[in-house]
Amino acid sequence: MARSATPAPELVLPQPVTAHSTGLVAWGRSVLRGAPVFSLCFLILAIACALGAPLLASYDPIETNRAQTLLPPGLSAHLLGTDHLGRDILSRLVYGARISVTVGFLAAFVSGTVGTLIAVVSGVMRGWAETVLMRLTDAFLALPFLMVAVLVVSLLGPSLVNVVLVIGLLRWMTYARTIRSEVLRLTEMDFVRLARAAGARPRRIIVQHILPNIVNTLLVLGTLEVGSAVITEASLSFLGLGVPRPLPSWGTMLAESQTYVFTAWWLPVFPGIAITLLVMASNLTGDWLRDRLDPTRRQL
Amino acid sequence: MRRYIARRVLQGIVTIWLVTLGVFSVLRLTGDPVSYMLPPDASKEDRERLIALYGFNDPLWKQYVVFNNSLLHGRFGPSLRWDSRDALEVFLSRLPATLALTGVAMSFSIILGVVLGAVAATRPDSLFDRVAKGAAILGQSMPVFWVGILLILLFTVYLEWLPSAGGLDRLGLKGLILPAFTLGWLFVAAHMRIVRSSMLDVLDSDYIKMVRAKGMPRRTVIWKHALKNASIPIFTLFAVNFAQLISGAVVTETIFAWPGVGRLLVDSIFVRDYPVAQTVVFFAASFIIMINIVVDIAYAWLDPRVRIAG
Repeated sequence: MARSATPAPELVLPQPVTAHSTGLVAWGRSVLRGAPVFSLCFLILAIACALGAPLLASYDPIETNRAQTLLPPGLSAHLLGTDHLGRDILSRLVYGARISVTVGFLAAFVSGTVGTLIAVVSGVMRGWAETVLMRLTDAFLALPFLMVAVLVVSLLGPSLVNVVLVIGLLRWMTYARTIRSEVLRLTEMDFVRLARAAGARPRRIIVQHILPNIVNTLLVLGTLEVGSAVITEASLSFLGLGVPRPLPSWGTMLAESQTYVFTAWWLPVFPGIAITLLVMASNLTGDWLRDRLDPTRRQL
Repeated sequence: MRRYIARRVLQGIVTIWLVTLGVFSVLRLTGDPVSYMLPPDASKEDRERLIALYGFNDPLWKQYVVFNNSLLHGRFGPSLRWDSRDALEVFLSRLPATLALTGVAMSFSIILGVVLGAVAATRPDSLFDRVAKGAAILGQSMPVFWVGILLILLFTVYLEWLPSAGGLDRLGLKGLILPAFTLGWLFVAAHMRIVRSSMLDVLDSDYIKMVRAKGMPRRTVIWKHALKNASIPIFTLFAVNFAQLISGAVVTETIFAWPGVGRLLVDSIFVRDYPVAQTVVFFAASFIIMINIVVDIAYAWLDPRVRIAG
């Protein structure tokens, strides 16, 4: 999907070999072939904001300033304007990246770990364990995801850790299903059969033969999942059940903006752009990784 | 076929039972339900009344038996709000608004998605195709609630065409446009992408080439013969999308003050009305399971290979 749709040329002419197209540069070029440059840059920017928020933001994201409320963007020292409590929007966006990136990656990591565990156990053990785990996966797939997340977060109390855990523990099913079919395919392959015939124990087969071969799938699913987790965190915060205020989550910023939608358009517009760009960047990067890591889809 | 249906329904019942078990344990195992359900300044008498009303002092197994027994009799516990009406009654009173919203949103997204996808597939790599692809990627990345706020900004604040809050009975059909568009937007993108790719496959198939070779005009081939088969994946996807539709409804109803079950859930949670909240979650899950069963059975009926293998 991230590939350009232009038809491939019929003849591939050999590229002239120049000094700097060998070695590191050539390797870099071949790795990044067809990469969504903009998406990768935005992902790096978001991660940089998350890591270096205190250095990059020029204002405190939480401290209120009653003298400078609802300033429109562009004017004064506030590039993207200020909100109803006089807080600088740009600084809040930079700090908000911290929450989105943390929740996005950690939740994807939690769901990836749980999903892989369930997939590998059910794929290798078979028998009743498989039946139980697959029933469980079906039950989780039938859950109205956001409703359950809202219910559970309200019971556990809204906090960053709870949001990560709830998103992570409710979204492992895609991993479990996809990776299980991958595991089943692998266990039928000759090199795994040979290993088993040679007397390798299940543990060794999993660690040595199965896991290395599902890393690519895991990476692709994980990247795509970051986007979903970011949207879910924003939705929970928007409903008032995500990261507690006054922490500047992008979803909370949108929720607060609803009251001022008639007077200050910049309150709802900028956090929404930030969420959309981060989700799009992770989706496009995931698509690109899938094409890149799957030899049958790779365009050489 | 009959055996397949029986097995599928039985699996569904097991899954629904697992969901009720989950709903039961989530409220009791995450802490003390009494303190969730009462405000911090509740008096001692209130506490004891609540404990007696829901039997929270009984041993867990007994509570579970009572819980299952009331479910089988269609009792979901009295709501803490709403004059202690049964949670089921409260839920049912809000259901029509949600059905109207999700029904209109889904129909609109199917119609628009099929038409746009088919047009894009007939002209691959054209400007239209590229713009549509870009819009689909954008549509799938925008959070539902942001789309809603942007629509309010445009149509309520600047153009002053449409109202931003209220239900069908207060505003009539005019109030349905923005919420339905907000909720449907997400699925337009998904439907368009899937129709486009399946349409490309169908247009490449032998029977379409045959029809073309017989001299049928291109327009008839595309809209009459190919579209029917290219639309099938939408209905396969419907079971998956249904869960997402419900999540989207929660957020959409909150933005537009739509008096449906999604908003009921969020409101109930904020006033600690957990009997109503768990009823909403239980029914939403059961709907998803039933839709899945219906789609699976329809599939087995259409394609004999499924019932033999599955």
